[in-house]
Amino acid sequence: MRFRFTLKTHLALVALSACLSGAHAQDVKTLTEWDIRTQASSNKVMVDAVARFEKKNPGYKVERSVVLNDPYKVKLKIAFGANEPPCVFASWGGGPLREYVKAGQVLDMTPYLAKDTAFRDRFIPSSFDTTKFDGKVYGIPGEDTTLAVVHYNKELFAKLGLQTPKTWPEMVKVMDTLKANGVAPFALANKGRWPGSMVYMYLVDRIGGGEAFRKAANRSPGGSFADPAFVEAGRMLQEMVKSGAFAQGFNGLDYDVGASRRLLYSGKAAMTVMGTWEIGAATNENPEFVKKMDFFSFPTIPGGKGSTGVIGTVGDNFYSVSKACKYPDAAVELVKSLVDDDAVQARLAEGRIVPVKGLTVTDPGKVRVLKMLADASNVQLWYDQELPPALGELHKDLVQSLLGLSITPEEAANKMEAAAKDALR
Amino acid sequence: MTRGEEGGPSPHAAWGDGRAAQALVPAVFLAPAVLLLAVFLLYPLAETFWLSLVDWNGLGTSRRFVGLDNWATLAHDAHFWLALRNNLALGLLSVLVQLPIALALAVMLDKASRGSQLLKILYFMPLLFSSVALGVIFKNLFDPNFGAINGALQGIGLGALAIDWLGDPRYSLASVITVVCWQNVPFYMILFLAGLASFSPDLQAAAKLDGASDWTIFWCIKLPHLQGTIRTAAMLAVIGSLRYFDLIYVMTGGGPDGASEVMATYMYKTVFAASRLGYGSTIAAAMFLAVMLIAMLGLRLTRRFETDV
Repeated sequence: MRFRFTLKTHLALVALSACLSGAHAQDVKTLTEWDIRTQASSNKVMVDAVARFEKKNPGYKVERSVVLNDPYKVKLKIAFGANEPPCVFASWGGGPLREYVKAGQVLDMTPYLAKDTAFRDRFIPSSFDTTKFDGKVYGIPGEDTTLAVVHYNKELFAKLGLQTPKTWPEMVKVMDTLKANGVAPFALANKGRWPGSMVYMYLVDRIGGGEAFRKAANRSPGGSFADPAFVEAGRMLQEMVKSGAFAQGFNGLDYDVGASRRLLYSGKAAMTVMGTWEIGAATNENPEFVKKMDFFSFPTIPGGKGSTGVIGTVGDNFYSVSKACKYPDAAVELVKSLVDDDAVQARLAEGRIVPVKGLTVTDPGKVRVLKMLADASNVQLWYDQELPPALGELHKDLVQSLLGLSITPEEAANKMEAAAKDALR
Repeated sequence: MTRGEEGGPSPHAAWGDGRAAQALVPAVFLAPAVLLLAVFLLYPLAETFWLSLVDWNGLGTSRRFVGLDNWATLAHDAHFWLALRNNLALGLLSVLVQLPIALALAVMLDKASRGSQLLKILYFMPLLFSSVALGVIFKNLFDPNFGAINGALQGIGLGALAIDWLGDPRYSLASVITVVCWQNVPFYMILFLAGLASFSPDLQAAAKLDGASDWTIFWCIKLPHLQGTIRTAAMLAVIGSLRYFDLIYVMTGGGPDGASEVMATYMYKTVFAASRLGYGSTIAAAMFLAVMLIAMLGLRLTRRFETDV
């Protein structure tokens, strides 16, 4: 009882102080900003950018909330649902952002960009693709250019006399050698279901080319999620599982606690299909190991239609302004500060490439990422971000089921197609 | 109420008509509770049932009334029935595992009385941890490649038992339920300890005098004395299990492949990941109905077995 009483008094105090600070805040215009830059170095880029904005725009104060990746998506959804979104928010573009745009809750940035063409033309044009709906731009690419690649332990490869595979038969040989030496070919932490989706997306791309997904998602004539490309990708994925391509426990391991990277660090697994941010994550956790890390493009599949396509995002996070914001002009200025030249350079210094033109990249890995992007026949955004949320979730569920061998490739493809027919009219 | 008010003039005198005041008093005293219940319980409940009839992504004005379509979908949704089944398994195991352990601990701690303070605190600890922190710790312990559990099993030559605890659909639910039980045992232990505290030492002394063994005292006197508490505990365990969310969400996210899905995690994913607020509300409403039904059945069933002490 005494505990309750003190809790109540505490609440009263909190409420009281909230009232007081509320009254105090009236003479300062507050802009709320939400993002997911929880890592110390990338957080500093944001803190500095906000400081520059506040200095340039006296009278405005930015209130930042930094939230972890997965909780962030939920927090944002609740805020929009309750009609109290932050002024400036980060998103991944694609399907989920489109939901907010369709609900009329996101500011159309096209007029602002038209007024400041110098700012607009800094960016690589294709980087706006993910946030452009009906020809209007709703978000500014702000963080990184990340592609899914095959990361591998080059020391381990050298020890076993392995070459990086360019084709699937070569990959099968590499996997066999690794298994024969007691090393799991791939580390995968698929509790969150999106890491497994990366392998599947590449299989689809290599088998059916970029247009297999494009046509299915756009409901173009002949496009279908039951297309042989999707069935075959599911079959190959299950073949990998059956042959022991993934380190055990993959469907229960949690990427967010580093379960897949631990496998790489310890040498228990040799490769992982993951975004290029994995290098940054490893740099923070295990800088010694990063020296042994390298990456290659997902191998081509004989008879497949795709070879150079990449899965990834040009922009990574996109910054948008909500319509509920009381000071939209200032909010747009804040977005510009978040991706100004200083911020772009600061991100480059920690290894992230904001998709702006004329960036001098010296890091050999980054140069290769940019070359892969330049050579790519198509750039495919993550399926779960591109598709409407319900369909994106189903896709991830189905891939997890495929990996768990609890569904046949045909069943998975047909389920996806049936749901797509419903959702993507 | 302060002393000054108590000593002041009678409110009846001030209001003139005593009867009107008499009728007002209960209303005034009830108003805050009724208001709070209405705002935080009845309104959301009604709203949930109303939302279960719409197709809506939770944003803007795209809300579309679809009648009982969502309920028809739910009736044929294998995933939901799997989740309900998992909830029931969790409830059953909670009663069968948590309560006996909690009872045994409580009886032993009660017997040891003063000397058991440290143990009481130790046993109570799991309940004090945040579920999220616990989930992360156990996720690491269960890790099939680096986890302490499999490491220990292999160390003592039981490598064959070192399975994929959370990633294999056959074991993930059982693994999570173990942790849930471990965390909740202390709660029931405290409940039983409180029940035992009200047990008269005279009665125990009298039984001893008559030559009753400790076992007889436990089975014939203490257990009947606790039956009300046990009933409450069982009801709480079942209801809690039907609404369970946190450790499962943190440890497996309901996966893999829905193997450890419970109604609450399914509802959460449907609303927040898939943006289907309407259908998510249908799941929530069904959850409410299931809890109501089972709670009512449970109360009725346990009452039947009640005996006079």
